[in-house]
Amino acid sequence: MTTWFHSWRAAVRIARRDAWRYKGRSFLVLAMIALPILGVSALDLTLRSAELTPAQRMERTLGAADARFSDARAAGVAILQDPAGEQHIPAGDYDSPGESWPDGPTDVTKSIPAGSTVLTDSRGSAKLTTRHGLLQAEVRELAAADPVARGIMRLQEGRFPEKDDEIAATTRFLESSGLSVGSTLTARGFDRTYVISGSYELPSDLKAQQVNALPGAFLAPYAKAVEKAGLPKPEDSTTYLVKKSGGFTWNTVQAINAKGVLVTSRAVALDPPADSEVPLYQKEGWANYESGGADAAALAAVGTVVGLAMLEICLLAGPAFAVGARRSRRQLGLVGANGGARSHIRAIVLSGGLVIGIAAALVGMVLALVLTFALRPLLEDYMGQRFGGFTVRPLELLAIAALAILTGLLSAIVPAVTASRQTVLASLTGRRGVRRSNRVLPLIGFGAVLLGAAIALYGSVVSDQFVLVAGGSAIAELGVVAMTPALVGLFGRASRWLPLSPRLALRDAVRNRGRTAPAVAAVLAAVAGTVAVSTYAASSDAQSLAAYEASLPYGAVAALVTEEGGRDVPEVRDAVQRTLPVDVRADVFRIAVGKPGCAPYDEGEGCGRFEVVTPPANECPLWVSTPDGSDPAEKYSKEQRRALAKDWRCLSPDGNGIYVDGGLLIADAPLLKVLGIDDPGAARALADGKLLSFRKPQVDRDGAVGIKLITDPKAADRAAEQNKPVPGELKSFTAYQVPGSPDSYGVQSVLSPAAAKAAGLTTVPLGAFFSTDRIPSTEERQKLDAEIAKLGSNVELTVEQGWVDENELVLLALTVFAGLVTIGAAGIATGLAQADAEADLKTLAAVGAPPGVRRMLSGFQCGVVAAMGVVLGSAAGVLPAVGLRLTEEREQMRFYQEALDNGWGGAGDAPPYVPIIVPWETLAALLVAVPLGAALLAALVTRSRGALARRAVH
Amino acid sequence: MSTQQQPALSLRNLTRVHGSGATEVHALRGIDLDVHPGELVAVMGPSGSGKSTLLTIAGGLDTPTSGQVYVEGTDITALNIKGLAALRRRSIGYVFQDYNLIPALTAAENVALPRELDGISARKARTEALAALAEMDLGHLADRFPDEMSGGQQQRVAIARALVGDRRLVLADEPTGALDSETGESVLALLRSRCDAGAAGVMVTHEPRFAAWADRVVFLRDGAVVDQTVRSDADSLLTGRAAQR
Amino acid sequence: MSIRHGLLALLERGPRYGSQLRTEFESRTGSAWPLNVGQVYTTLSRLERDGMVVQDGEDEAGHPLYAITDSGRVELRSWFENPVDRTSPARDELAIKLAMAVGAPGVDIRDVIQSQRRHTVRAMQDYTRLKAQALTTVEKNGARERDDIAWLLVLEQLIFQTEAEARWLDHCEYRLIRLSSTAPAAGPEPASPGTVTGAAGTGTQAGAGAEEAARHRP
Repeated sequence: MTTWFHSWRAAVRIARRDAWRYKGRSFLVLAMIALPILGVSALDLTLRSAELTPAQRMERTLGAADARFSDARAAGVAILQDPAGEQHIPAGDYDSPGESWPDGPTDVTKSIPAGSTVLTDSRGSAKLTTRHGLLQAEVRELAAADPVARGIMRLQEGRFPEKDDEIAATTRFLESSGLSVGSTLTARGFDRTYVISGSYELPSDLKAQQVNALPGAFLAPYAKAVEKAGLPKPEDSTTYLVKKSGGFTWNTVQAINAKGVLVTSRAVALDPPADSEVPLYQKEGWANYESGGADAAALAAVGTVVGLAMLEICLLAGPAFAVGARRSRRQLGLVGANGGARSHIRAIVLSGGLVIGIAAALVGMVLALVLTFALRPLLEDYMGQRFGGFTVRPLELLAIAALAILTGLLSAIVPAVTASRQTVLASLTGRRGVRRSNRVLPLIGFGAVLLGAAIALYGSVVSDQFVLVAGGSAIAELGVVAMTPALVGLFGRASRWLPLSPRLALRDAVRNRGRTAPAVAAVLAAVAGTVAVSTYAASSDAQSLAAYEASLPYGAVAALVTEEGGRDVPEVRDAVQRTLPVDVRADVFRIAVGKPGCAPYDEGEGCGRFEVVTPPANECPLWVSTPDGSDPAEKYSKEQRRALAKDWRCLSPDGNGIYVDGGLLIADAPLLKVLGIDDPGAARALADGKLLSFRKPQVDRDGAVGIKLITDPKAADRAAEQNKPVPGELKSFTAYQVPGSPDSYGVQSVLSPAAAKAAGLTTVPLGAFFSTDRIPSTEERQKLDAEIAKLGSNVELTVEQGWVDENELVLLALTVFAGLVTIGAAGIATGLAQADAEADLKTLAAVGAPPGVRRMLSGFQCGVVAAMGVVLGSAAGVLPAVGLRLTEEREQMRFYQEALDNGWGGAGDAPPYVPIIVPWETLAALLVAVPLGAALLAALVTRSRGALARRAVH
Repeated sequence: MSTQQQPALSLRNLTRVHGSGATEVHALRGIDLDVHPGELVAVMGPSGSGKSTLLTIAGGLDTPTSGQVYVEGTDITALNIKGLAALRRRSIGYVFQDYNLIPALTAAENVALPRELDGISARKARTEALAALAEMDLGHLADRFPDEMSGGQQQRVAIARALVGDRRLVLADEPTGALDSETGESVLALLRSRCDAGAAGVMVTHEPRFAAWADRVVFLRDGAVVDQTVRSDADSLLTGRAAQR
Repeated sequence: MSIRHGLLALLERGPRYGSQLRTEFESRTGSAWPLNVGQVYTTLSRLERDGMVVQDGEDEAGHPLYAITDSGRVELRSWFENPVDRTSPARDELAIKLAMAVGAPGVDIRDVIQSQRRHTVRAMQDYTRLKAQALTTVEKNGARERDDIAWLLVLEQLIFQTEAEARWLDHCEYRLIRLSSTAPAAGPEPASPGTVTGAAGTGTQAGAGAEEAARHRP
């Protein structure tokens, strides 16, 4: 043991000094290893620092209070909650049919124990006036300066509000509103003016657009003002910060839960109960998943990525160690002559890896620490939350450092074994021999290729599991990497037909597989990965292009506003028309039931809704609701279901298009123009006051479509739950079913405003559809976004731009990455080849070769390595991608058949289209441009005249 | 020379054939040679006579086609690679023509290297190395790197390394080949004095002037020993009072 | 002649008597060239005759002292300044012996060479040993003792001379081997091909060259 240690010390000393002597090479390898280590450790530091301790988390949510009480909105029935106070359900059993889920407010204040200090914390939202226009922001009423609330908000400037006409704002709000401390602030439709007294931040949500006022100073008067304007009252919610000596234990929390109140308690967070003591977790489907096994898959994925990255680094750095060992042959021979056994020689070369690995680990670590520490404010901004502290987890950092050292050692392992295999005499005399490459490795590689291919084949043909295909491909890929020396040998056969320089280069590369193979393997691995991903991505692109369904006709624009009864609609319409190249504008309206300020499906007081009725005869038999709640499809056989799936009643409406309440728009003929519906009958029917129908099932036998106005949604819900007819006034319209089945982009019915008015329907403006002269440019879109932001309105804006390739950038980045790796690896191999070929070059010069031959030769050497790697890599990369695609096709076909069998929605669509597309542009770039570029680069940086004859030793 | 002692190195009927068939070359044909402690033997002969092969086989860097090599009584032809390496660490020191020292190590570290490889603690190995250097008046070079030393200094440090620890057999292959006459002399004087102090030395050279430092000069031709000289009493050559010097 | 000039050189350091000169001469040149007192006195009287030394008094023990004259100094100066004459080489027995051995029946010239080489190297070994002793003495006494240094130089001259002889012998051997391989019949020694390839020292190149020459001259 000690013997081993002492001889390693000597080896490390030699390696350390050598690393220092050859700084350039050492730095290259060090950088290769240190960069990923820097990234990983910086990530670790950032994530760990961002992680909060329970105490810090509680300070940020509770301030100095002991608990936060909130309304579980379960109408006061007992609830079950998790210790963090994030999840809760009613304690009783409300799932059985006929039981209705408890829903309603609870008076939280009643559950607060006597003798506690209480602070209210209310939240609502308002449209606030800014320097540019309006900004939707959260309004929070909390006495932030109170000692109990201390820690929730961090004051940045000025002070928290002390009077009712003062307000504080988050720094983010001040930034985006253009206001500053001292400015005045008001809200739309509100006559009060506030002075901004200070700015603050929420440590866990730096991106929050929030203002803070004293309790009662904003929300209540604002709600009154809004209601007075006839708009629905903005929602607000209040929670209570409670401070009580002794805090709230888990038992107390459970007792309070019985009153329907949710509690976030500091004491519970600091000392969480065991899972067995949490009744919520005993409920089916509510188990505590936090520490579950879902991490295993993520861990495996991370492990694979790290492993592959390490392999790639090893393959790139390996040749550098090989040159090192090569250059110091004489030195290693001397060690051998002085009694160094093979293990000692191995130790010296391995120590090279060890030394670089340790240095890389140190450099990476220190840089990561410094950078993370220095860039902390930026990182916090990026993550949107303040760190809990600068957390350094020594064990994790050690593990990362160990990874660096392991990478260094692994890179040096093959050169070390090769160097130790040399006889002492050969090392001393410096005889250059063709080193026979290891024969075992290619055999193992061949075995791995067969095995991996078999697994992948099994995966894609017999089973259809991605894991098998991916795993098999990965094994086969590693096998190809291991086979590289043998494959490189095959390339040598081509050399006899080549002219001098490339022939020399190829022969040299093949004869010295020890240095060529790792470089080729590095290129192979990088290119194979790139080609695999590119092929897969190109194929999925083709698939998604084929499956793409436009929301609107190409170039058309829709801008819809549902809030506040369409109050901002005119401005929005104007903004679109002003900024975009609009051709036709079609104003659209919607039917409003109840108060005009209600949004669709608004559950506020006095708000109703409408339904377009589907006649019972036209309902799809597979979907009808049954009295007992059972699945109607079960009544049918598989064949019947397959047949019904293609029945016209069961064809689901197209999933694409703009979502419109009930599929019904109130609009005039221009809409048809925008939507590209050129049936002359349709325009005429619309003008005649008929309802245009694009969906056949909604038209009853008499050719009419019914619209039911539901003024009491709650009663309607109850009726629906009990399978009774829904109460409401039914308006019937003569329908014109548009012939053919033109794509109506989600619109199922259109009614003219005049007809709607005639039928006594209330309509409110919804927005507009536009057709354009050309596709709006990015600048125009940005301008429109800015205009809309100034309005502070919630606008649903859709600009149909056709199918957009989202993978393009990724593919480009991958190609560039593979190109860089290829050039790097080929460059390293070329450097090695030059060091080896110095003698040959001298001979060449002596025979009378012109100086340019030297340039040519190194260019070809580089090109040869790049070309071999790229060719092998492309072949190795296309296959797994094809395998994956085949698997996907099988899987999707299976889903499709299953859907047909069960008569599920959408089953009537065409069978899935899973194409395999080879990305020829990427391949061409990799196969031709990259080797060519590498060759040119190498030729350019090579001096055509050699350095003066130096002794071959050292 | 004392014949009673066990020879430090014994070669028995040593042959070495390079290649086979048409390219067969007999580098050594039945060499017998004994080298005793305290003796410095020079091997001379035209190039290609097998001098260097003899030396590499004696040091276990090459294996004979037939015959035995005994180092301090052990037949090294029976050893495996590991055993040979250990032998070179413990019993045999090598000195080559040039570039004997590992550039990454200081003189002291170079001398300590075989001991460290042998698993001795770094401190102890250094102490031994410093002692060996001091004994040969090389103490001032201890912390210099090879490229800060002259050729002669490097060779002398190499001799110190060849004899550090318990090693008593130096095999030197043209140790003065890369040096000028004066410096070569100093290297040989050191080798001579180490042998006088009890080490055994075998030196291959083609320079008669340097071979003359040996106790015995062995003439090699076509891979066989053709002749050898034994040192006479110098007084027989020179008469007069000068002999008392 | 060298004894003449040697005595003049010793006298330049001051007057000396005969046997004193002999002792000093030997201690300078080692015992390489032993002198007898008769030689010294003969030489001294010739020098006196030529006007290069004069008798100049006696020492306490009554030995007659000799001193160098100005013309003696001039002669000494010119001796130091002029190189040793090489135009008429000294007769060398070894050269004559080898010349005679070429082609002599029943004589293996390689044996002649080897036995001479053994002798020469052995002589060198002895000189070298003395030189090693002298080196130690010089190192011990420092460079002040001119006698020690002079002795060292003389020894080295002997060593280099014998070395030259040894090298010449090597050269003779190579030359004979080459000649015997190109014209086998003429050689006194029937050279076996094995010996030729093995001994053709400079390796295959020399051998190959020889073979080529043989082919050109059938």
